[in-house]
Amino acid sequence: MALGLGSTGARTYLYAELVEIGEIATRDDVSLLVVSLDTNPFFWSTFSLSFSDFISHVLAFLNSILLLSQLNQVVVIATGCNSCAYIYDSSVDSSHGSDTSGMPALYSNLLRKLEEFVARDEQLGKAQMQGATASSLLSGSLSMALCYIQRVFRSGPLHPQPRILCLQGSPDGPEQYVAIMNSIFSAQRSTVPIDSCYIGSNNSAFLQQASYITGGIYYRPPQLDGLFQYLSMVFATDLHSRAFLRLPKSVGVDFRASCFCHKQTIDMGYVCSVCLSIFCEHHQKCSTCGKYIPKFCPAYRGDKHNGNALG
Amino acid sequence: MPEVRIIAKNFMDMVASMPAMKLDKLYDNGFICEAILRSLPPLGKKYVLQMLHIDVQVTAKSMEEWVLPDGISKQKVAIDRLVQLRVFIETVDRKNEKSYKLNPTFQRSLQKLLVNGGTLPREPMPSNITVRLPGLEDLEAYALEQWECFLLQLISSNQVERPSNISSSLMKVFQRRLMSQRDREPPRLTESGFQFLLMDTNAQLWYIIREYISNSEARGVDAAELISFLLELSFHVIGEAYNINTLTDFQRNIIKDLADLGLVKLQQGRKESWFIPTKLATNLSVSLADSSSRKEGFVVVETNFRVYAYSTSKLHCEILRLFSRYATKHLLNVEYQLPNLIVGAITKESLYNAFENGITSDQIISFLQQNAHPRVAERIPSVPENVTDQIRLWESDLNRVEMTEAYYYDEFPSRDVFEAACDCAREWNGLLWEDSKKMHMVVKTEVHTHVRDYLRRQK
Repeated sequence: MALGLGSTGARTYLYAELVEIGEIATRDDVSLLVVSLDTNPFFWSTFSLSFSDFISHVLAFLNSILLLSQLNQVVVIATGCNSCAYIYDSSVDSSHGSDTSGMPALYSNLLRKLEEFVARDEQLGKAQMQGATASSLLSGSLSMALCYIQRVFRSGPLHPQPRILCLQGSPDGPEQYVAIMNSIFSAQRSTVPIDSCYIGSNNSAFLQQASYITGGIYYRPPQLDGLFQYLSMVFATDLHSRAFLRLPKSVGVDFRASCFCHKQTIDMGYVCSVCLSIFCEHHQKCSTCGKYIPKFCPAYRGDKHNGNALG
Repeated sequence: MPEVRIIAKNFMDMVASMPAMKLDKLYDNGFICEAILRSLPPLGKKYVLQMLHIDVQVTAKSMEEWVLPDGISKQKVAIDRLVQLRVFIETVDRKNEKSYKLNPTFQRSLQKLLVNGGTLPREPMPSNITVRLPGLEDLEAYALEQWECFLLQLISSNQVERPSNISSSLMKVFQRRLMSQRDREPPRLTESGFQFLLMDTNAQLWYIIREYISNSEARGVDAAELISFLLELSFHVIGEAYNINTLTDFQRNIIKDLADLGLVKLQQGRKESWFIPTKLATNLSVSLADSSSRKEGFVVVETNFRVYAYSTSKLHCEILRLFSRYATKHLLNVEYQLPNLIVGAITKESLYNAFENGITSDQIISFLQQNAHPRVAERIPSVPENVTDQIRLWESDLNRVEMTEAYYYDEFPSRDVFEAACDCAREWNGLLWEDSKKMHMVVKTEVHTHVRDYLRRQK
């Protein structure tokens, strides 16, 4: 009944028939794309592709998503190193025409908000000098994306199919491990795939796990000057078409976890038998649940290529 | 029964049937490319996007590698559609291998649209000139009212208080397949007419627009120009005013008809006049399945087969009464009627009449479901199960006897001949009945000649 059609009935019959012969575009491919955009200055200042080139590829991609269907929706969340913010929402910004500068409304609105965001993020960074790290706040933008999607889910039965796309370049921040894993599991629970387009030099273990667990696509484009082509080829695929398209498969996912005590990525560690918290060294007492950990149980976790993710 | 399925197909079929020259001209307009793109099946859209920046031919073989084995048929449908619309240009080389390339005009327009955004040929008028613009809700109400008024005029011309300006000849065109005119009798709805009324607004709109376009050549209007204008119109912003002077003479003629259908609202200021697109217009480029414009329902069906229709709309009343006005066409036995309420009951007799007129039980049920009153629409099912089941049962009651034309054979000379004839009929899959004691048999008409020839050869 999600389509508002009767279980039987003339319209259903005609509809089914039309869908059968592929005569019409169906509602199946209407998508809500929530994009997390990495704006980490520490990464972009050292990277080979300039941020403005990157943005121009991404903008064309976002515009093409909106072009595909009138009902498609795009939300962009900027991921800085100190904060995250919604910088674009196509359902709010309805003006279709162009403004004076000759750019589509999408581009000018998004760029303006992005500039504001980057300036604010920098201010925050100055306020807490020593907190500046090279990683960006992926956990924050993932949670914001999921919150947005939850709101859409509750808006009624006729919502577009949501998915999250992480455009990430900065290396993982192990200190965000728990928050990111929690986001990933809640995405998995609400069947929201997390796609990851990782442009940094080494693979991102977090994003590999995120895409693997939620059934999304993890892809690292080998050539960055054709980024738009990769984006449109791989990440523009709606969830409906994914069932019958050949898309990049992940080979070898890095399942290593971070320890809760020093936030370091570890191959082997100690696990609390009650709450499954992970520690790199032995503690008398679990810092998460307070349960005493017997000395004799060093646990083995986080085998590479091992299908078992966290609990 | 091909006549029964009046599917309101969309523009794109008409676009696809246009000559190549005209199509390429249409694709110069970025908005038309966008509308075409949106009408494609999901895979088709994806392929256009994928090929957007590829300037070389892509062979069919390498495209096959894009999909999984189960998707091959879907891909074929998508590519056929793309070729049909001339979005893909197909070339066959000497080895008889196909390869595809995006139509250069289409490609250029779409690339431009993607990077620079599109600009409509006209800008909305500034608000200091246009006074008293209607709000969005008013506009939607206006569009629906205009549409209902049109429908009412379509099904019973004498009922309308303020007839629209649609010429009677054009009205005749719309009525062509929906109403049958017999001498000295009031026009009656045909089977397709009933189905038309039971469709939702968007589907109805499609049907009417299609008739409008297919008739355009007869009125001396260029179909390509008409289609391109309608598609362009669908990209205007709802509720904004656009100056009439920006239209060509040709378009100005058409916009009047569109105003009568409720697609645009015409307004006149002191000096200028303008048109305001409504939701109906912007829905045009949305494909058929996206007709998510849910109307507020008005029908409550109770488990005791009582039907309450809360409506002041003349059209609703007319649709329900239509079934009862002519003695032969009941959907409801109307018991009483108040200014905003019609009360009736679904009975066996009323439905038998509906079935006789070619309405199926599924159509009746989906009509009741689609128009369920908000208070019952949340319930699942919105129409009580015992009612829907009974409606289906009553329909199947009518189909208990199946008629087959047949030939009856008797007086066989011997049992061997009889049995051989039975076998022969069985082989042709045409033996309906046999009585081996009395040596009688009945075969379908289609196989009669075979059996007869066979018996002749036996002699």
